[in-house]
Amino acid sequence: MNACADILKAQLADYNHESCLIYGIGNVGRQDDGLGWAFIDWLEDNNICPKADIARHYQLQLEHADLISHKQRVLFVDATKAPDVNDIRLEDVAPKMDFSFSSHAVSIPAIIATCQRCFDKYPKVQLLTMKGYEWELHIGLTKNATRNLNTAIDFFRKEGL
Amino acid sequence: MSRKLVIDPVTRIEGHGKVTVHLDDNNKVIGARLHVVEFRGFEKFIQGHPYWEAPMLLQRICGICFVSHHLCGAKALDDMIGVGYSTGNSVTVAAEKIRRLGHYGQQLQSHVTAYFYLIAPEMLFGIDAPPEQRNVLGLVEANPDLVKRVVALRKWGQEVIVAVLGKRMHGISSIPGGVNNNLSIEARDRLLNGEDGLIGVDTVIEYAQDALAVFHDFHEKNREMVDSFGDVPALNMCLVGDDDNVDYYHGKMRIVDADKNIVQELDYHDYLDHFSEATEEWSYMKFPYLKALGREEGSVRVGPLARLNVTKSYEDSTPLAKAALERFHDYTKGKANNMTLHTNWARAIEILHSAEQIKNLLNDPDLQKTDLLLTPPKSDWTGEGVGVVEAPRGTLLHHYRADQEGNMTFCNLVVATTQNNTVMNRTVKSVAETFLNGNELITEGMMNAIEVGIRAYDPCLSCATHAMGQMPLVVSVFDASGKLVDERVR
Repeated sequence: MNACADILKAQLADYNHESCLIYGIGNVGRQDDGLGWAFIDWLEDNNICPKADIARHYQLQLEHADLISHKQRVLFVDATKAPDVNDIRLEDVAPKMDFSFSSHAVSIPAIIATCQRCFDKYPKVQLLTMKGYEWELHIGLTKNATRNLNTAIDFFRKEGL
Repeated sequence: MSRKLVIDPVTRIEGHGKVTVHLDDNNKVIGARLHVVEFRGFEKFIQGHPYWEAPMLLQRICGICFVSHHLCGAKALDDMIGVGYSTGNSVTVAAEKIRRLGHYGQQLQSHVTAYFYLIAPEMLFGIDAPPEQRNVLGLVEANPDLVKRVVALRKWGQEVIVAVLGKRMHGISSIPGGVNNNLSIEARDRLLNGEDGLIGVDTVIEYAQDALAVFHDFHEKNREMVDSFGDVPALNMCLVGDDDNVDYYHGKMRIVDADKNIVQELDYHDYLDHFSEATEEWSYMKFPYLKALGREEGSVRVGPLARLNVTKSYEDSTPLAKAALERFHDYTKGKANNMTLHTNWARAIEILHSAEQIKNLLNDPDLQKTDLLLTPPKSDWTGEGVGVVEAPRGTLLHHYRADQEGNMTFCNLVVATTQNNTVMNRTVKSVAETFLNGNELITEGMMNAIEVGIRAYDPCLSCATHAMGQMPLVVSVFDASGKLVDERVR
């Protein structure tokens, strides 16, 4: 767990409102890339945050700037390969036009910046990332990725659901 | 010293390709190639699977034009069960219209993506603008109101796809013999009239006209460059109906020459009799050509530019697109248009045409009918089928065979980007000659000009080779001995 998470108020109860969005990013057909969706599965299976909008998709596109412009709070959930993430990380995300665009994906900071530029507002955005290890064409998380998913779940249980 | 320039990978296209340009001692272009370096596999993966899985599995080749693959596969399955065009039959009127609606929705969404996300930045900022400005996020910075309209257009196109196929991506609507759902009144009214956060169809048509105006403005200000950029010859091919107009869902394959004379016309079920494919050791992508004319003369262009070269007109029911098409046709005075950047003009016209066609279909009560599926007796099984549609990037073909148990034994996919392989290579060479010839110093803008030429075709190399992988950007310059002399990473 990173130190950043310790200072965040990360209660999922904060997201249990119609003005909130919890968004899983990933691809369950690519092993640990399914972490984001697996977290969403856990929310739905346990009826956590039933009032929030819940969504899953492969990658972010500019349309997501429009989507988040209608929300007050957004939690993105994704897998990560970042070497400085040991298991999970929870962080606030600020708008930043980082020119990360490809035809397939846009970064979260760029989505927020686009929202700000086009709609003159943007929501409070947090990003939960969980460390993944394997990304091949198989369905199912690796053992280590499953452990990190459980770490994230335990974290939110501890912080309060 | 002679040099070899390498653009690897080409960016803002779907998939992974690279370009090599060979310069002689006087910096004159002596060769240029677009290499497609992805691995092909879907035609093999599908073998052994039940035939009805084909349109569901094969649409996963692509995250952009999956509806085209889905429909193409469905048409092939119609043939296989004995209700397709090869048997002299067709699915019900309602089923065909539902399929067409999804098809136009995807065309609109795909073209808007290509036009604004991948191509417009150069139109608005210039080919040699800084890379950090020359992308859609640069558009966000410079013109947020335009981006809001683009987002609204794409979102609406996506909602058409959801309404028909049930999912934003890789949904299922078409099944052997028809479709599994009609369009509900609620979905129809939502798309026609819009709702909070979703524009209505009349606004879509208005925004589509704005998109066309972006090209006209760009053309007006840069006429000489736009008209001379990659002006390369090729035959033009698309599906046409009995009215001699392009039909995006079904028709006969028509190929026309520079004077728009018909050089060949065929039932697409007979494509193997007329087309052959050449291969090169430097690319995984094949080079199709008409057997009767040979590889050099018989290569065809497909996609927006080709379609508007082939079609006589548009339907009266799409008056705005029809008028835009007349202006397009008048520009070349009855001749075929070979100007590569005019593909973007054609693409913008097709956005407008799709929007008008969708409006027509949404107002058609046939879409609420319930006779959606034909279920022929098992004795009608033919075990073989060919489907062709005009995908956003051009003519797309799926050909399947299955055994008596219904397991796939053969699959051949000829995708639009493959058809365009030769003309794209001609474009790369033409643009390289224009921008690089005689220049000692090769700038990033010059290299980008070559990518602009490729992007005009909106190639989908993932479709063409059905690849896996990521897309970093490295531009490398080698001397003739293969020594790396310069490298840039984006």
